[in-house]
Amino acid sequence: MNSVTADDAITRWTGEAMQNRLRRRYRSERMFKLLGFLAVAISLAFLAFLLVTMIWRGAGGLTMDFLQASDSTDPAMAGVWGALKGSFLTIIVTMVLAFPIGVLSAIYLEEFAPRNRWTDLIEVSINNLAAVPSIIFGLLGLAVFLNFMHLPRSAALVGGLTLALMTMPVIVIAGRNAITSVPPSIREAALGVGASQMQVVFHHVLPLALPGILTGTIIGMARALGETAPLLMIGMRAFVATPPSGISDPATVLPVQIFLWSDEVDRAFVEKTSAAIIVLLLFMLLMNGLAIYLRNRFERRW
Amino acid sequence: MTLGATLIGILLIALAVGGMSYAGAGRLRTGGRLHSLPVYHGVHALIWVLVPALLILAAWSPIQSRLVDQYILSTPQGQALPDDGGRRGAILSEARQLARGEIAGGFNPESASLAPRVTEAEGRYSAIGGIAALLFAIGAAGLLLMRKRDRDFRARTAVERWMKGILVAASLIAIFTTLGIVLSLLFESLRFFRLVPVSEFLFGLSWSPQTAIRADQAGSSGAFGSIPLFWGTILIGAIIAMIVAIPLGLMSAIYLTQYAAPRVRSVVKPLLEILAGVPTVVYGYFAALTVAPWVRELGLSLGIESASSESALAAGLVMGIMIIPFVSSMADDSIAAVPAAMKDGSLALGATRSETIRKVLLPAALPGVVGGVLLAVSRAIGETMIVVMAAGLAANLTANPFASVTTVTVQIVQLLTGDQEFDSAKTLAAFALGLVLFMITLALNLIALSVVRKYREAYE
Repeated sequence: MNSVTADDAITRWTGEAMQNRLRRRYRSERMFKLLGFLAVAISLAFLAFLLVTMIWRGAGGLTMDFLQASDSTDPAMAGVWGALKGSFLTIIVTMVLAFPIGVLSAIYLEEFAPRNRWTDLIEVSINNLAAVPSIIFGLLGLAVFLNFMHLPRSAALVGGLTLALMTMPVIVIAGRNAITSVPPSIREAALGVGASQMQVVFHHVLPLALPGILTGTIIGMARALGETAPLLMIGMRAFVATPPSGISDPATVLPVQIFLWSDEVDRAFVEKTSAAIIVLLLFMLLMNGLAIYLRNRFERRW
Repeated sequence: MTLGATLIGILLIALAVGGMSYAGAGRLRTGGRLHSLPVYHGVHALIWVLVPALLILAAWSPIQSRLVDQYILSTPQGQALPDDGGRRGAILSEARQLARGEIAGGFNPESASLAPRVTEAEGRYSAIGGIAALLFAIGAAGLLLMRKRDRDFRARTAVERWMKGILVAASLIAIFTTLGIVLSLLFESLRFFRLVPVSEFLFGLSWSPQTAIRADQAGSSGAFGSIPLFWGTILIGAIIAMIVAIPLGLMSAIYLTQYAAPRVRSVVKPLLEILAGVPTVVYGYFAALTVAPWVRELGLSLGIESASSESALAAGLVMGIMIIPFVSSMADDSIAAVPAAMKDGSLALGATRSETIRKVLLPAALPGVVGGVLLAVSRAIGETMIVVMAAGLAANLTANPFASVTTVTVQIVQLLTGDQEFDSAKTLAAFALGLVLFMITLALNLIALSVVRKYREAYE
């Protein structure tokens, strides 16, 4: 009697129907894994295709003349030097404004802010600002910096200000993460030997959090460097044939230059546009590489 | 006296007083323990000289420009200017630019004769402001130096109070930025809604701002119905882009977290992140140059006559690719937040890995994934350059992905990059579109964040 039940159980697990069922389950397992692999492969293939297309179309246009000349209506004469200089000035303005403000607000929110409604309001604003579409910052720049404060149109100063408002929340969020990851024992030890709260933060917490903050800042700056839409709003799309010599001169930036050239009918500008894209991507790669290096070299796991 | 000279003067005074306080405190040290280190005494003096004087300078500059304008208008040349406020303002600002050497020649002939007057008036008023600020700095310096030095003086506490003030001010900038966005959008939108009724803007089915250029035909005859724009935005950003991004992003996250070897993962994940780091203008160029012609060919070969070279499909596809890493990292986070016990339990019962993922992990992670998708949608509908370069300008109300549609962001760029005066319904319409876009993305973000937060709390 007993052995019959055991046999039943065995045939139930080894029988034809069960074998088929198992095969089906393993097949669907393989299919699922394949789908996942395909998803990754498609994404990476697209990235590779994009890069190869740009290099294939633009590598021929990457000459010393191209790097040293400024914008021109004649594709043979056009170069990126003016746009590069504009990008550089804009990024400098952005960094000078966004980095200190971002770091200081991160410090305040993490180390000093009392838990109350004001602090909540600041936190909600920062989290929302980080997700506001960039073009809205362009509208803000147009309405406030140009129409209300009458700052010079098309200038790197206004572009930098606008991008600083956009980048600041990114730095605050990165800064807060870096500051929270500094263990409390550091603060307690410093307080224990008689440091004031301000000294604890500026002498001990901030230096330890700095690599993380810098990583976040560089990534934010790279994003600002590639940003186009807000700068179109504040008029940085003017044709600028002479490189800007200061932050209040009319200027254009590399991404906007790419956009302007992409609109040209002359086919010769296709090569120029792709070459400018290669230059822009190289700068992005450089900045992101620097951020990764900083993270690997200096970031401490506690 | 120029601004530069004033600034240098104030800085020199501040440094001198700071140095003297530092040295004085250092001498006091020989008599016993100081409450604060000498450096705090120095910084304390520096701040008290520097900050009030700089505040005066900052407050003076708007007053100065008003005074200069008043003076210019009171001169004979100024009184000869036209009464029309807009034109007068334009001439004045041109004269200002001429006086500062920002432009070589003016568009209006009057500005050239005004420029020397502006230079003269600006010189005079900035000298007044500069001297006032310098006097203030000197006064503060005098007060600080006259005070008797005291070992118990709490310079550190005072300096730290200043630093705390600076920290608070820095974090308030976020609130001011948000306020600035809301107020500037609201203010310009209200002016727009005075020209065009709200109901027409929100529910109108036709969009052709070009017809309303003439000032005397405001509002009523221009077509400012935004429905086609929002439909185009949804079609590209929330439908086509998500059809691409959700499966690819989700499956990539699953593959990388559940199947891939750690070494593969550590290489592939940063590579995927590059997709999010490529500037959008590059995607836009790629979409317009490479993807759009293919999509058109595909449409034509499918027998769709109306296939456009500025199709919604091309823009949406490329935008979807851009969003993949975003969806993938959100999905990654929410799958990682599911307790390991649930996964282990399922595997222990004999479920295969894919069964565990589909029947246990994904349902458990669903709120987080949905939150991530909402954030991705909010990012996609605010995305500008891809659609500006690859989608069209025609405001069509169509569901055909091969046809050309336009989006809110495309129209904002289009309305604001022409050369028209700032007060026209056309430019104001851009701010109204911006306001609606801002509110939609804000709502999506708030919903998404609260969904994600609730979900995190459920497993903590």
